[in-house]
Amino acid sequence: MPASAATYERIVYKNFSEYHYMKVCLEFQDHGVGLNVAQFKQLLVSALKDLFGEVGAALPLDVLTYEEKTLSAILRVCSSGVVKLWSSLTLLGSYKGKKCAFRVIQVSPFLLALSGNSRELVLD
Amino acid sequence: MAAFADLDLRASSDLKALRGMVETAAHLGYSVVAINHVVDFKEKKQEIEKPVVVSELFTTLPIVQGKSRPIKILTRLTIIVTDPSHCNVLRATSSRVRLYDIIAVFPKTEKLFHEHNQYFIILMERNTTNHPWIPGMLLVASFIKCKMIAVLKDFVSIKEVACTHLDVDLVCVTVTEKLPFYFKRPPVNVAIDRGLGFELVYSPAIKDSTIRRYTISNALNLMQICKGKNIIISSAAERPLEIRGPYDVANLGLLFGLSESDAKAAVSINCRAALLHGETRRTAFGIISTVKKPRPSEGDDDSLPACKKAKCEG
Repeated sequence: MPASAATYERIVYKNFSEYHYMKVCLEFQDHGVGLNVAQFKQLLVSALKDLFGEVGAALPLDVLTYEEKTLSAILRVCSSGVVKLWSSLTLLGSYKGKKCAFRVIQVSPFLLALSGNSRELVLD
Repeated sequence: MAAFADLDLRASSDLKALRGMVETAAHLGYSVVAINHVVDFKEKKQEIEKPVVVSELFTTLPIVQGKSRPIKILTRLTIIVTDPSHCNVLRATSSRVRLYDIIAVFPKTEKLFHEHNQYFIILMERNTTNHPWIPGMLLVASFIKCKMIAVLKDFVSIKEVACTHLDVDLVCVTVTEKLPFYFKRPPVNVAIDRGLGFELVYSPAIKDSTIRRYTISNALNLMQICKGKNIIISSAAERPLEIRGPYDVANLGLLFGLSESDAKAAVSINCRAALLHGETRRTAFGIISTVKKPRPSEGDDDSLPACKKAKCEG
């Protein structure tokens, strides 16, 4: 009996990740300022809108986790928009008249990479 | 490993605020910072003050996050020039200018920007003998009694007579207002060959949205002409909250029209180049430097026989 011809299929991934994940922390000059999730997302969208207009504000952006006590969050944005989001976070100066700064702790195309931060590693 | 540098932290008289800023910069990952003293000669009788002594600021320097070395603090002087006579302070040899590690100039007019890159300031005493139009000029100038060097310089620019360089490491590009002139390619290329860096600051853009537009448009203008070479991006931060991390600033470089490698170089490699340029300014052609040798005590002199003693002392 003749053997059936072997078939091969080759899959090529050109862009390995559709999304970029960012771990950010919001720092205020005076302590005691609190934001809930909705206000935080509103702040992000308004930062994008200030720098890039309506088109920038329409960027598909998700807040995956948010901690109100430390004001830190993990964001997800599509890979084409990471430069826009990052630069609009860098140039954000104030929220409702209070001076603040976004500290971007980690950016990675893989969510798993955000679980450990080698910069904050403490060697005993 | 890239050593990130922020070459512009505005010096204030408050040492505690300065300390806070340097600590924030170390926490964010900058290996080198330069404390910037700004001098504006437009106001009357401005004196160049002595730079902040680093040992007064910190007894132990804060450690850079991510590395185990302490942060390196340098001093820098920025001179705002609106008039060619302001540049004379750079020519004075025994002035406080030599105490600073980096010297930057902030030209406000087109002529000063392009000229200090390419043309030179005339030394009135030496080169005035051979030119037929100079005696006439001197006569006119003595009637007007204006700043002689400024008058002469205007004519010099037209005639392109070469004299001496403006000895600086960085040229600041204005970001708070619309650029009053367009950059010209030949003087900018000469500046890049000489090793000058062009500096853009980003902290005014954080405060105000119109300034944001001016910053980006001036930066795009500059990129078109210089193609991203020798660019430095730094914060002109007066408060610790205005400093941004090095990778954030590199991302801003992408917004300004730089390529990815150029943007990262703007925070690391080009800053180091400006530092080395400042160091070699004190040496002869970057090879020889003089160090004052402390005088040996009298007891040591007696122990050596006379033939073995050093010929020149002190």
